[in-house]
Amino acid sequence: MYAVKSVAGAMGLGLIGFYLGLGIVAILRWLFGYPDPWGGEINIIGGWVLGVFLWLMGIGMWGQWGREWFGLKTYQRNLPGWQRYFTFNTDHKVIGIQYLVTFMVVFFLAGALAMLMRAELAQSGNQFLSNGQYNGTMGLHGILMVAVAVAAVIGGIGNYAVPLMIGARDMAFPRLNALTFWLVPPVAVGLLATPFLGGIEHGWTAYPPLAIRTNSAQVLFSLSIITFGLTSILGALNFIATIIYMRAPGLSWGRLPIFVWSMFATSWVALLYTQGFAAALFLVLLDRLGFSFFDPATGGDPLLYQHVFWFYSHPAVYIMVLPGFGLALELIAHFSRKPLFAYKYAVAAFLGILGLSGVVWAHHMFTSGMPNYLHGPFLVATELISVPTGLIFLSALGTIWLGRLWLKPPMLFALAVIFNFACGGVTGIFLADVPTDIHLQDTYFVVAHFHYTIVGGEIFALFAAIYYYFPKMTGRMYSERLAKLHFWWMFIGFNATFFLMHLPGIKGMNRRIADFQSELDPLNFTISLAAFFLGASFLVFIWNMVYSWVRGPVAEANPWRVRTLEWQTTSPPPHENFPSIPVVRGGPYDYGVPGSIHATFPSAPSAGFAGAPAGGGQ
Amino acid sequence: MALATAHQEAAHAPAYNHLAINRAGLWLFFFSETILFGLLLSARFYLEGIHREELNQFLGLLITIVLLLSSVTAYTAETAIEHDNKKVGSWYLFFTILLGLIFAGGVAFEWSIAHFHRSESFGSVFFTMTGVHATHVVTGVFMLILVWAQALRGRYGSKNAWPVSAVVMYWHFVDVVWVFYYPALYLTK
Amino acid sequence: MRKPMQTGLIVAAILAVLTITEYLFATHVDDDLIRFLGISVSAVGKAALIVYYFMHIYRLWRPQEAH
Repeated sequence: MYAVKSVAGAMGLGLIGFYLGLGIVAILRWLFGYPDPWGGEINIIGGWVLGVFLWLMGIGMWGQWGREWFGLKTYQRNLPGWQRYFTFNTDHKVIGIQYLVTFMVVFFLAGALAMLMRAELAQSGNQFLSNGQYNGTMGLHGILMVAVAVAAVIGGIGNYAVPLMIGARDMAFPRLNALTFWLVPPVAVGLLATPFLGGIEHGWTAYPPLAIRTNSAQVLFSLSIITFGLTSILGALNFIATIIYMRAPGLSWGRLPIFVWSMFATSWVALLYTQGFAAALFLVLLDRLGFSFFDPATGGDPLLYQHVFWFYSHPAVYIMVLPGFGLALELIAHFSRKPLFAYKYAVAAFLGILGLSGVVWAHHMFTSGMPNYLHGPFLVATELISVPTGLIFLSALGTIWLGRLWLKPPMLFALAVIFNFACGGVTGIFLADVPTDIHLQDTYFVVAHFHYTIVGGEIFALFAAIYYYFPKMTGRMYSERLAKLHFWWMFIGFNATFFLMHLPGIKGMNRRIADFQSELDPLNFTISLAAFFLGASFLVFIWNMVYSWVRGPVAEANPWRVRTLEWQTTSPPPHENFPSIPVVRGGPYDYGVPGSIHATFPSAPSAGFAGAPAGGGQ
Repeated sequence: MALATAHQEAAHAPAYNHLAINRAGLWLFFFSETILFGLLLSARFYLEGIHREELNQFLGLLITIVLLLSSVTAYTAETAIEHDNKKVGSWYLFFTILLGLIFAGGVAFEWSIAHFHRSESFGSVFFTMTGVHATHVVTGVFMLILVWAQALRGRYGSKNAWPVSAVVMYWHFVDVVWVFYYPALYLTK
Repeated sequence: MRKPMQTGLIVAAILAVLTITEYLFATHVDDDLIRFLGISVSAVGKAALIVYYFMHIYRLWRPQEAH
């Protein structure tokens, strides 16, 4: 069992590195004459840096990458079966599944925390959790779900599908790709360790001054998020290089599947803005070590944090939702059996959101006390975002219009994305407008709006993609009846929970607080019931996936009869994806256009290649 | 897209231009880093305006010249290796390392004589900006040493110059950052 | 190899001149706007020189590799 040895060894090395880092910092502190060489949070920082480094080296980076730096020969170990998922594997399909499974686990964990919060909020007063415990639960739920939203679709579906869709053998930087995944376990460990240091008290936004005065769990939080930011940036870099340079011959920009376009725009957002979150938390770490960025008493300014933080964290919602849009458009086109309506406008919309994403961040700060003259410009810029978003909607609606809808589970989820995001978009207007926002700021209205956009827009798209790619990934088919049951259960539960959540928000119920006025009891009790109903729907999903992965019937290469490249190879695809690099001859969505083909494979497929005929589809 | 290459109509399996891909990846990394340094620069003006504490102007000018000079030596090393002049290449890599170390030493000295503390806001800004930059310099020195060790063994030449080019490009990038940080920290009123 | 080396030296000379200009602007000019403009223009010029001549940014959009 090489994989077990490798992971255990890497964990051991990581721990050794952690303690070594603690010690090295302590020795340095001692040399510089500090009275308490062991006492600082800076020791944890040193330990984290060295620990993560040695963990990466141990998991396989040394053998496949590090040796090269010293002019030594690198070696690669390609393990069979399940073991490859536990090693430093550079195959994008393996990495995609690693991401997807990891973040589904994190998703259910964070969902369980949400259930805990709803249990507490079912009634006014404190029943299950103390205020501190509630804060920790809420903060952990928030940051874990943000991580899921940022990485599950991009890292999971993106890694798996993008190289296949553009007819490439792998990503542009396969080792970098593996590195981005193997940075995730330390992040998970760091975040999950926070409750043992007192819990995250400041929510996922980590505003100072609380972030600077709170317990040491903050340090782990910051370090984890900075590391996670690195993952996000390097992954985005990889996607951009892949999409620019690795497209199959003939796959011009105008023929690119729309999901690839959305990943392209998303990757630019992630590449250019993720620094903001990392930098903000880096400055918080420094402030905790005695610097003074955010303390007004010594010339700092807490608003600086909010500017730097939202400079990333608003574009972050586009990082979350753009791939969701891309998936929705992609699936709607395939399952309506029609060319994608207004393809060029949809592409322009993705690029337009990319362009606007950097100039809207301060709409999160209307009540923060920033100068009043900033309100107008940020209001207008925020409202402008609805133009490209609207184009995406029109593209989706125009594609559905007069289409022959094939209501398979992926399509149901994709349609739900459009519905949910419309609700999220409409409620967003109230939060973008300064007069209403001042009333609604920091209430459950914001929570409801945010969950409508991200859960409704992205997580539904994630499930659409999972149901779409499950046969491709595993080579097996799931139970369609259970999948549809999951869809309706989740859709109803989701809308019940989050639609109702607007109401206490309008009445002024503050988010992030364990208690509320008792007159809101009946409403909150209903919301909690709906939330439990929503939570239970995922049990169907888990059962369906686990059972089908092991026992499901064998899937065909192209069960959905779609034309894009990833379905023109076997399920699951072979190591380098295609028997020969495809040559693209036409657009991906030309369903019903006489004589159109998407791609051909130059040399005749070998006998072992039982894929659908090249060109595929109707 | 300015970065696009023309390989659309290639007849067969594309022989990926690995050099172009690597170069684009490195530039994307630089774009991303630019934002980080830019945010720190904005934070400096956001907190302090153009106010500045007294700094050792001579030392500032000196380390700036040292870093610019190291860029010139790095350029010379890269050019030499691209023209298979391995001896000149390794020597100039060595000079670059030396100049980089002098720069890092200069920053450390500046820190030791600074009369402000990190708990004042200008101190925060100054130590963070120079610290983050110096971390990049030291990382660059480590990478230069790795490349230099290989160059001494004659591993690089016109056919295989990318590792040297990559490290040298990184070095120039760090230099460009200092081109903006130096006036922002030393030359405001 | 002589030509690129010459380019390097010329760029180095311009960088030196610009650095001195920058320094002189900072120490000898009192008008805020002119000082700011002088320093900024010198800095941007230096950065552009390094990015173009030392980092060879143009190689990004040149399809064929050549040294």
